[in-house]
Amino acid sequence: MRRTLLVVLLLAIPMMVFAGGDAEKAAPVKQIRVAEQVPGLITPGVWDGQAFSMNSSIYEYLVEINAETGALEPLLATSWETDAGKVWTFKLRQGVTFHDGSVFNAEDVKYTLERTQDPSIGHLKKADFEVMESVRAVDDYTVEITLKEARPTFVYQLTDYSMAILSSDYDYASLGESKPMGTGPYTMSQLVPKESALLKKNPNYWVEGLPKIDQIAIYFVSDIDASISMLESDRVDVVPFVSPEIKQRLDGVDGIKIISPYQEMRFISMRVDEAPFNDNRVRLAFKYAMDPKIIARNVAKMELNDGVFYDESPIMASLAEYKNIPLRGRDVEKAKELLKEAGYPNGLSTELYYASDHPFGKELSQTIKELAAEAGFDIVLKGYTRDIYLSQYWLNVPITLTGWGGRIDPSMLLALAFKGDGPWNESHLDDPVLNDLIEKVSREADPDQRMVYYHEMQEWFFENGPLINVQVPLLVAISDRVVDYKHPLSQLPQYKYMDIL
Amino acid sequence: MKRLVEIFLRRLGSLLATLVVMSFIIFLLVEIMPGDVAQMILGQSATEESVAALREARGLNDPLLERYGRWISGVVVGDLGESVYMKGVSINSILWRKVGHSVILAMTAFIIFVPLSIFFGVLAGVKEKKPIDSIISFFGLATMALPEFVSGVILITVFAVQLKWFPIVSVLPIGESIWQNLNIVILPALSITLVMFGYISRMQRSSMISVMNSDYIRAATLKGMPRKYVIFRHALKNAMLPTITIIGMNMGWLFGGLVVVETLFGFPGMGSLLMTGIKTRDVPLIEACVLLITIIYSVSTMITDIMYSYLNPRIRFQGGQK
Repeated sequence: MRRTLLVVLLLAIPMMVFAGGDAEKAAPVKQIRVAEQVPGLITPGVWDGQAFSMNSSIYEYLVEINAETGALEPLLATSWETDAGKVWTFKLRQGVTFHDGSVFNAEDVKYTLERTQDPSIGHLKKADFEVMESVRAVDDYTVEITLKEARPTFVYQLTDYSMAILSSDYDYASLGESKPMGTGPYTMSQLVPKESALLKKNPNYWVEGLPKIDQIAIYFVSDIDASISMLESDRVDVVPFVSPEIKQRLDGVDGIKIISPYQEMRFISMRVDEAPFNDNRVRLAFKYAMDPKIIARNVAKMELNDGVFYDESPIMASLAEYKNIPLRGRDVEKAKELLKEAGYPNGLSTELYYASDHPFGKELSQTIKELAAEAGFDIVLKGYTRDIYLSQYWLNVPITLTGWGGRIDPSMLLALAFKGDGPWNESHLDDPVLNDLIEKVSREADPDQRMVYYHEMQEWFFENGPLINVQVPLLVAISDRVVDYKHPLSQLPQYKYMDIL
Repeated sequence: MKRLVEIFLRRLGSLLATLVVMSFIIFLLVEIMPGDVAQMILGQSATEESVAALREARGLNDPLLERYGRWISGVVVGDLGESVYMKGVSINSILWRKVGHSVILAMTAFIIFVPLSIFFGVLAGVKEKKPIDSIISFFGLATMALPEFVSGVILITVFAVQLKWFPIVSVLPIGESIWQNLNIVILPALSITLVMFGYISRMQRSSMISVMNSDYIRAATLKGMPRKYVIFRHALKNAMLPTITIIGMNMGWLFGGLVVVETLFGFPGMGSLLMTGIKTRDVPLIEACVLLITIIYSVSTMITDIMYSYLNPRIRFQGGQK
């Protein structure tokens, strides 16, 4: 009998212990809770682009993008001017302090910019800022940047997420990962590696009335389904980077909405310095085999031009530089004919490489394979995890499928990925006409003339290009209680403007 | 007693040898994992220069043996190194907190499943071929056949989604300790219980049956001893031996190998930390986790062996254990 009692007692202990734990605590402070991917490195410059909500709230930039209009707006810089793009003068905001109390001034901007060229850091924007010849602090609140050649759109590069303004007195090499520190609207209060971060409102923030909420609680959750469960059970309010399948599942769920602040690009690039894609007829045949509507539906579960866009040039449909060229339309017979002319009457066999763990990678490659098959392309799909894809195959294979973030100023991307000497020239293009146009858009100071070059370039891509550009939505699942969710194309969500009901 | 000390020392020696060999194997295995951690960290915008700078900064370019030597000499003095990602953050500061959570989970599961399965195992054994035996055996077999990711989903659906008794995801609210949130432990612990229940109750049942049919039990019954006394005083002691072995053998899994259960529930323990480490190719973190799991396995096996020798006089006195 004593033993039976013991067993009952043993069973009862955990029950008693756990009975008390369920009570929800009343929230004393206004907070937004976010479930994000587990970040890798978070120090600006080598920051891997995860944990956007955390870094975008701690750090600030010289300029920011207005989430509604897409226009450039002053932030730590109050104004800027240039002589046709070679010498840039930035006036800086006064009365701004870093979280550690030090005063923000021109030295910090100089430090941040020169840091891009420090070889020991391995700064991700090293190539982009190599164009700088010198950075000079004219006085405490004026910085003058002299470029080696004219870059009329240079200021847009300062919106890149790697270009957060850092304090010249702070030891980012040893503290950047554990104690991130900037001038942003929130300060790091508590960071539990690989688990969570708690950000508190910066009491000394330079804008009166901002930020609107007291704290941001960020959970690092590696499994997106677990993040969604947290959202559904009201344990978080925001989950970025959800998949189209999750969107379909959550559509119509009370209290949750899915928004798409902007699109990212997926480039399907054909390698033009080798058979078969060295023949433009083969490239055209491939493009004639595609059906944008089917791609949109299969890949993103959305309708074409309603969240998903399809083009044959690298200029995103949402940009001012975009030229609306009518889509080619699917024509399998024409595709077969072109292949025959090019010397492939029985079709041809090729390989498409992609990152299987990257959003939309599997769906997009599978859809392309099936559409192209009808025209006579026998495509073997080669999927690898993203690190293996990028380090071993990308830039060296017949067809690549790669993700590219949107850029407000497309000229930089063009120079990196489509110019003969570009480091990320996946299709191995080296076309004199295109090279020349890319040179011209990055140097031309007159915006109207720049637009003319952009339009010419898009026509060139339509006729000769090796590219299919599918623009897929970035999807964010948020609770209805979150108001004014702002997330512009710079990929930096603006939590300072957000509020919660 | 001398014999027991001898067994203990010999076991300890082989444990140390195992650990040395295992540490090298772990290091080698992680080494040949495909992919490049520097490329992984920096992503697509990584240039060759930035990858090279990062490899150099993290000491990834040094020869294999040098890196092994550096790692193992740190491990010996309790320094598990730094995560590839968080410079300035030691693995010790990440790992032990998670290990603490995992131990609490394992203990909770242990407290639930051990008495439960022994009790029902004994009951089934005593009531052999009666309806109650069939029900217990069927239930044990069914739960044993269900992998934990299936039973876990069933538990979540019933207790978290439908009844809303427990949270769906076992995440700790920021700034709170696990002691304030013990309700997140229950569902993962139940999921482990379902897996273990079948094993242990069936083992208990069959050993109970064979003991109940032995001569000394028959003699005890024939001399008029009350049945309860026969079962609890005479039979149970002997019938527990195989059960203890099984429980001991599973302790390693229970305290270190709960990768599936922890990942499924999002429980902030060592299993999900290991999963994160593998996903992000955080080599030092993987090595630390796997080494710790190896130690737990080896130690728990050793303790089981010693306990077994202690409980079984045939081994203790005649040297049956080689």
